[in-house]
Amino acid sequence: MDRVLIFVETKGDEVKKGSLELLSEARKLAQTGRFAIEAVVIGKVAPSLREAISLYAEKVVHIVDPLLDAYTPEGYSLALADYARTSQPRMILAGATQVGRDFLPRVAVLLECGIASDVTAANWLDNPVTLVRPVYGGKVLTEVVCEESPFLVLTRPNTFDITSPGEKTGEVVERHASLPAGSVKTRMLRREEKPKGKVDLTEADIIVTGGRGLKAPENFTILEDFAAVIGGTVGATRSVVDAKWRDQEDQVGKSGKTVSPKLYIAAGVSGAIHHIMGMDTSKVVLAINRDPNAIIFNYATYGIVGDLFEVVPAMTAELKKRLGRG
Amino acid sequence: MEFSLTEEQEFFKKTVTDTIDRMVVPKAREIDEKDEFPWELWRQFGKLGYLGLRYPEEVGGMNADPVTAMIFYEQIARGSVGFAQSVIMNILMGTYFIYRFGSDEIKARCLYPAIKGEKIGTMCFTEDQSGSDLSATRTTAVKEGGEWVINGTKMWITNGPIADMATVLATTDPKLGAKGLNFFLVEKGTPGFSAGQVLDKLGCRGTVTGELVFDNVRLPGENLLGEEVNKGTEYLGEILDEVRVMTAAMALGIAQAAFDEGLEYARKRVAFGKSIGSYQLIRAKFADMATEMEASRLMIYYSAWRIKEKLSSRKEAAMTKMFATETCLKVVDEVTRIWGANGFAREYDPQRHFRDARFLLYGGGTHEIIKDFLGRMIIGKS
Amino acid sequence: MNIVVLAKHVPDAEALIEIKGTGEKLEIEQKFAVSLFDEFALEEALRIRERLGGRVKVITLGTGKAIEVLRTGIAMGVDEALLLDHEAFLGGDGYATALSLSRAIAKEACDLVLCGKQAVDDDRGEVGPMVAQFLGLPHVGSVVKVDIAEGRATAESLVEDGRVVVEVPLPAVLTTQKGLNEPRVPLVMGVMKAMKAQIPRATPEDLGLDPNQIGLAGSKVRIRRYLPPKKRSQVQFIAGDAPGAAAEAVRILIDVERVI
Repeated sequence: MDRVLIFVETKGDEVKKGSLELLSEARKLAQTGRFAIEAVVIGKVAPSLREAISLYAEKVVHIVDPLLDAYTPEGYSLALADYARTSQPRMILAGATQVGRDFLPRVAVLLECGIASDVTAANWLDNPVTLVRPVYGGKVLTEVVCEESPFLVLTRPNTFDITSPGEKTGEVVERHASLPAGSVKTRMLRREEKPKGKVDLTEADIIVTGGRGLKAPENFTILEDFAAVIGGTVGATRSVVDAKWRDQEDQVGKSGKTVSPKLYIAAGVSGAIHHIMGMDTSKVVLAINRDPNAIIFNYATYGIVGDLFEVVPAMTAELKKRLGRG
Repeated sequence: MEFSLTEEQEFFKKTVTDTIDRMVVPKAREIDEKDEFPWELWRQFGKLGYLGLRYPEEVGGMNADPVTAMIFYEQIARGSVGFAQSVIMNILMGTYFIYRFGSDEIKARCLYPAIKGEKIGTMCFTEDQSGSDLSATRTTAVKEGGEWVINGTKMWITNGPIADMATVLATTDPKLGAKGLNFFLVEKGTPGFSAGQVLDKLGCRGTVTGELVFDNVRLPGENLLGEEVNKGTEYLGEILDEVRVMTAAMALGIAQAAFDEGLEYARKRVAFGKSIGSYQLIRAKFADMATEMEASRLMIYYSAWRIKEKLSSRKEAAMTKMFATETCLKVVDEVTRIWGANGFAREYDPQRHFRDARFLLYGGGTHEIIKDFLGRMIIGKS
Repeated sequence: MNIVVLAKHVPDAEALIEIKGTGEKLEIEQKFAVSLFDEFALEEALRIRERLGGRVKVITLGTGKAIEVLRTGIAMGVDEALLLDHEAFLGGDGYATALSLSRAIAKEACDLVLCGKQAVDDDRGEVGPMVAQFLGLPHVGSVVKVDIAEGRATAESLVEDGRVVVEVPLPAVLTTQKGLNEPRVPLVMGVMKAMKAQIPRATPEDLGLDPNQIGLAGSKVRIRRYLPPKKRSQVQFIAGDAPGAAAEAVRILIDVERVI
C-alpha cells in the first residue's frame, strides 16, 4: 500500500478549496484499496476542523509547535519534511496556493526529492503518476513524471471536483514537531486582509473582469453590482491596473493571477494575449464587447456583441429576477 | 565581408529596442494626436545619454560608429516619428557643425547642453524658393567690420520654433551659387532672430516645424562655423551621405512599425473562418514587404559601413535613401490595405505610419533629384 | 550590502511556440528577454545599493545568448556578473537548477539574494525557495515592498486575500512580484559599459558539481512530452438587442451551462 500525505491548508474555520479538492481525490484513491491517506495539518487548527477533515482521510496528523503558530516557510517545511521521513509516503500533495508554492519546494530540498508545481491534471493510478502542468503562461502543456519516491505535487485550485465526505471519521493524531530553537528565523509582523466576503480570484467559481471598455474607474460599479448578484469576484485587465483604476491584486493575466473559474465573464476586454493566458482554462467564458472582431471572442464560449453599459445592467436585472435576489 | 552585427551591436540593438518600447511607443499615439512637442520625454532621453550618440565620450557622448547609429535611428523612428525627427536633428545636423568648427566657448554654450538635452539645436537650409537646389539660397551673410549680418527666411525647419541654436546656411553672394555657401551659428535671443509660422503637418506630428526669420541678425566672427569662408558645400559633404542613410534608417523604422502591425492583424483577424494570414494574396504581400525591408536593411548597414571605413559613399547613400523610402511607402500602403476598414480609423496606428511616411519623399533629398544625380553619375556627363 | 540577483534568459512573451512532431520538443522563435519578475529583482537590488551602498552581482544559468541578461544587468548598473555557461547545467528541473545556482552563490559572502517569484517560461516558482533551503537561509516570497535596516529585511508579500508583512534577518532570499518597483531603462553609458564587458563564466567543475547532479541529468522530474492546450470550440454569438441578448445569456448560464 502506498501512503499519500495531503497537506491540508486551513484558514480560520475553513479548509482551503484546493485542499478540499485533493481530499476528495484522495478518498477516491483510498477506495481503490491501494492507498493509505493521511491528511496533515500544521500549526493552529481548531479541533472541530480536524474532525471535519478526518471525514475525508483515515488519519489526520496535526503537527504542532510554538514555532508553528504562525505560518513561516521554514517552520512548515521542517515540520512536514520531518514527518515525511517518519511516515515514508509515496507522494505528498498540496494545493498550489501562495502558501503551498512557498514552502513545499523547501520540503523537496529537505527530502532531496522531486516536485511538480501548479499541476492542472493528474492520473494518480498510472505508474509513474502522470501529471500535466502548463508552461509559457499556458501556451503549452507538459506531461511530467517523477520516477523517484517520494515526490511532491502542488495542484492548482479549481482542478478537481469536491465531493462530500463519508460519515466515518478517521483517527486524529497530534504530533509535536520539536523544532530546534533558532530554526525559524522569519517573524510575522502583521496581516492585512481584504474586506471579508471577497473570494480570491484564484479560488473563485465566478469571475467578472472589466477592461478599458469600462472607460472610467467609476464604471466598475456596474460590474460590482453584477458580481454581487451571482456571488462573483471582480477582476481587472493589466491596462486598467496600470492606469490605477483597480488594484494589482485584482489583475488577471500573465503578470497578475492565473484563474480557472467555472464561469468567466469579460466585459470591455479586448483579449490581449497576456490576459488570455491568465484565464484560458476557465470552463465557460462569456465575452461582451462592442467590436465583433475583438480577439476575446476567439477564446470565449459565448459572445455578445453589444454595449456593455446596456448588456451588463440588463443581465443584472434579469439575474435578480431569476435568482429571486432583489 | 562580415555581414553580421557584432555581439556588442546586437546587444545595443536589443537594449535600444526595449528602451523605445517602454518609453516611446506608449506615448506615440498621444504625441501624434496632440501635435505637441513631448518635453518630458525629451528630458528623459537627454538623461539617458542617447543625444550624444555620435560625439566622443569626452564630451558626454557615446562615440557610436555610423552602423551602430543607424540601429538607433531605425528604432526611434519605429517608436514615434514625431519624436524621432526632433531627436535625430539634435543628434546630428543640428549640432554637427558646432562640434566640428565651434570655438570652446560656443561648444560650452551650445554643444554640451544639447548633448544633455538641455538645449535644442536645428539646421536651416530650406527656403521658400530653395529646397533641393542649395545654390539658390537667398539668405545672405554680409561681413561688416568684424561681424556677419544675416538676412533671410528659412522654411520647414525641424525644431525651428523651439530651437535654442540654429546652424544657418547663408550665402555671401547669390551669384556664386553653391560656391558661396556658409554655416553660421545663430542663438535664441539674438536680436533679429525670431520664429515665424509653425506648420500644421500631415505626419511627423509632435515635431515642431516652422519658419525662422533672420532680420539683420549681427553675429561675431567666431559664429561662422568653418575654417574658411564659402566652403559650406564642401563641409556639408562631410555629413550628407550619413544624413541620407539616416533618413533611410528612419524609413526602415517606420516600415517596421507598420509591418509589425500588419503581421499581428494577419495572424489574428479572421475572415471566412480562417485567419487572413492563411490566404495566398496576403502571404504574398508579406513576402514582398519582408524581402524589400531586408534589402533596405542590408543597404543601410552597407552604406553606413562604407561611411565608417571612409570609402566613397555618395552613390550608395543616395541609392539607399531612395530604395528604403520607396520600400517604406509600399509597406505602409500595404499594411493599411491588410487592415481593411480598420486601416482607415484614427483609433489605430497604421494610418499614422501611412501619414508619417510621406515626409520621406522630400527629407534628405527628393527622389527626382536623387535619380537625376545617380543617373548622371552612372552614365557620365554627356 | 552584498546582493546577488538571479536572472533568467527566457523567450520573449511574443515569441511563437510550436509543438513539434508528437510532442517530443518545442520550436521557439529566437527572440529573448530577461524574465519579467527577475527585472524587478535587478531593479530592487540597485535601489538597495543606492540607499545602503555595497555591490550587486547578477548570476544567470544559460549558454549562448543568455549572456545578454548579464549585459542588461551591467547596463542597468550592477557591479559584477557570472554566467553558468555549460551544457550540463541546462534542462534542469527546479531542484537541479537551484542546486547549481546555490553553489554559485555560496562562493560569495552575500547578505541578500533576490530573484523573480517564477520564471515566465517554466512557471515553476521553485528555484527561489529551493535556493534558500540549499543555502540554509530564510526566504520571503512574492515581495511587493522591501525595507532593509540593521541587518534585517522587512518584506511585504502579496497573498490571496491581502498582504502579509514579515521580518527576516539577513542573509535571506526574497522573491519578487510585480508591483515592487518600475525597472529602470539603462543609460547609454551603461549600455556602452555592458557592450565592452568581459563576463566571467563558471563550469560545473568550478562549482564542485558533478554533471550527473545537475541539469537534465540531475533532474528528478522530467518532461515526457508537450501537449497543446485544450482548444476551445468556436464562440457562439448570442444575438439580439441588449435586453434580449442579456436575457438569453442568463438563461444559458443558469439552465444550460449551470454555472450560476
